[in-house]
Amino acid sequence: MNNNQIKNKRNIKRFIPPFMRKKTFAYSMLTVNILFITWVVVTETGLADELFLPGPLKIWQSFIEVSTEGYQGNTLFVHVFTSVNRILAAFIMACIVGIPMGVLMGASKIARALLNPLIEFYRPLPPLGLYTLLVMWLGIGEESKLALLFLAALPGLIIATIQAVQNIDPVYLRVAKGLGASKKTILFNVYLPAAGPTILAGMRISLGFTYTVLVAAEIVAASAGIGWMIWDAAKFLLSDVVIMGLIVLGLTGIGLDIFMRFIGRILMPWTRYLGP
Amino acid sequence: MKNILNKVSKTLFGSLSAMTLLMMTFPIEAFAKPKKITVGYLNLVNAQLVTKNLGLIQKEMPGVEVEHIKVGGGGDMLRAIAAKQVDFGGLGNPPTAIGVTRKLPIDGIMVLNMLDFVEAMVVRTDANIKSFKDLKGKTVAAPFGSTTHYLLLQALADEGIDPSSMTILDLRPNDIAAAWARGDLDAAWFWEPNLDKAVKRGGNIFMTSGIMEKRGYPTWDVGVVMKSFAKKYPEYVEKFVKAECAGIDFWINNPAKTAKIIAEELSLDLEDATRMMKGTEMVPCKKQLTSQYMGTSDDIGGFADTLVKTSKFLVSQKRLPKQLKRKDYEKFLDPSYLEKVVD
Repeated sequence: MNNNQIKNKRNIKRFIPPFMRKKTFAYSMLTVNILFITWVVVTETGLADELFLPGPLKIWQSFIEVSTEGYQGNTLFVHVFTSVNRILAAFIMACIVGIPMGVLMGASKIARALLNPLIEFYRPLPPLGLYTLLVMWLGIGEESKLALLFLAALPGLIIATIQAVQNIDPVYLRVAKGLGASKKTILFNVYLPAAGPTILAGMRISLGFTYTVLVAAEIVAASAGIGWMIWDAAKFLLSDVVIMGLIVLGLTGIGLDIFMRFIGRILMPWTRYLGP
Repeated sequence: MKNILNKVSKTLFGSLSAMTLLMMTFPIEAFAKPKKITVGYLNLVNAQLVTKNLGLIQKEMPGVEVEHIKVGGGGDMLRAIAAKQVDFGGLGNPPTAIGVTRKLPIDGIMVLNMLDFVEAMVVRTDANIKSFKDLKGKTVAAPFGSTTHYLLLQALADEGIDPSSMTILDLRPNDIAAAWARGDLDAAWFWEPNLDKAVKRGGNIFMTSGIMEKRGYPTWDVGVVMKSFAKKYPEYVEKFVKAECAGIDFWINNPAKTAKIIAEELSLDLEDATRMMKGTEMVPCKKQLTSQYMGTSDDIGGFADTLVKTSKFLVSQKRLPKQLKRKDYEKFLDPSYLEKVVD
């Protein structure tokens, strides 16, 4: 009997993912709950104007409505899918360009000197200012949107990769060279594994930054995308759709981040701690 | 000696009473006088440019800092109002219908302008668009939520054309001009001063907002004031209306000088400014009180009907959750300031 109970408990425990069993998860849930309760109290008591902050129920209704009937011709799934597609396409392109560039700039002083002015100049430019120009050059189609997201993702990646490469213990390099390793071997067996964790951290930050320009990228001439939906709904003062869109956008961001950490764990099993 | 004493006491008494008077009136004055007023004006060709250029509002309110903020379109203005960033603003009828239905704290106090061919649909000449049916499969732009977006969808609905048979894009007027220059668009319904840039680059006017007015869809811009401001400083709302009315009178009486002002304000050629001016119909303040426009406090005019019609349309487009009754839109229109100014 007693044994059976223990067994049952173990069985239940098996279904709870490991991260949920941690104490820190309980603390995180505490923050979420406090926020949620404040939201309910503020809206239920009429402290907040419904026009600016609708209650959770209203948001839920708009979630259901947009999921089933859609917002201006597209369902929520299509909006999310379009945006995530744009983000991933731009981000992957940025990784393909940015990480090798960062390795090159980290390993070679000349490459760094050649490319630095370019990156240092455009990095602090506000995306919207850049966007006007991109629209004029590339038009109002997908190209300008992807270009903006790409440019937002790139500098974070490059800078993190440079940092990662420069921080590699020179002993590793000397040993590899002393043992007669080829350049290719050094790149794939020394540089990338040693720099991997920092590069991954850079990728996560850079993905977050790409998210911040999503709404800006979808302002001009989009007719689908979660950023566009938020922008359009704001124009018509549909704050329930705006807030619902923001929550969904945030959740997809968290989802992508978890996915990236998962990839990191598979590619680099030697790094146990990959941030919070 | 007695005489002198008398004089002294008189002066003392005089100055004392003056001081008490001042002390009595000053705090009230200070209380009822805003430090600064913010006027959001639309980037459009109307008499608000004249009022701004001649500093007419400032003349009505000495000692008050008057700030003008240029706002691109109705959607942006609605956001500025919702965020309480302006005291006075201008809104086209669709954003007004949205704002009033969503219970934004604003009152409509005067007609800024009626929209004629200052807003028009330009089509690329080589796209060979002769009727609305020819728009099928084409790329059409309009600033969403604005008067022209409303007219475009309304015109398509009247002709029985499905809007999804073409690509309708949301672009702001300056972005339309840029996209047009690149050849990304086949048609666009928007307004001056950017409209002209499209016409000059291989476009011709296919439809105007004035023609749509004759079909029963008038579009206009109404001057609005934040309710909280109007409650606190009613005299200053009157002063504002007075200044804008003076701007409208100046527009009507001095077309040549007005064209010069518009050319200066919007960096245009005098010739273009003159033509654009003719596309906007200014309504003298006295006429605004007739049944076609604002009407009177006892009998609100046709603007309320336009708002009913516009919101009905927006509800059908799922841009508005519900529609209000005519009397709710009547409550928004407040011609009392105009009545005081005209008398």
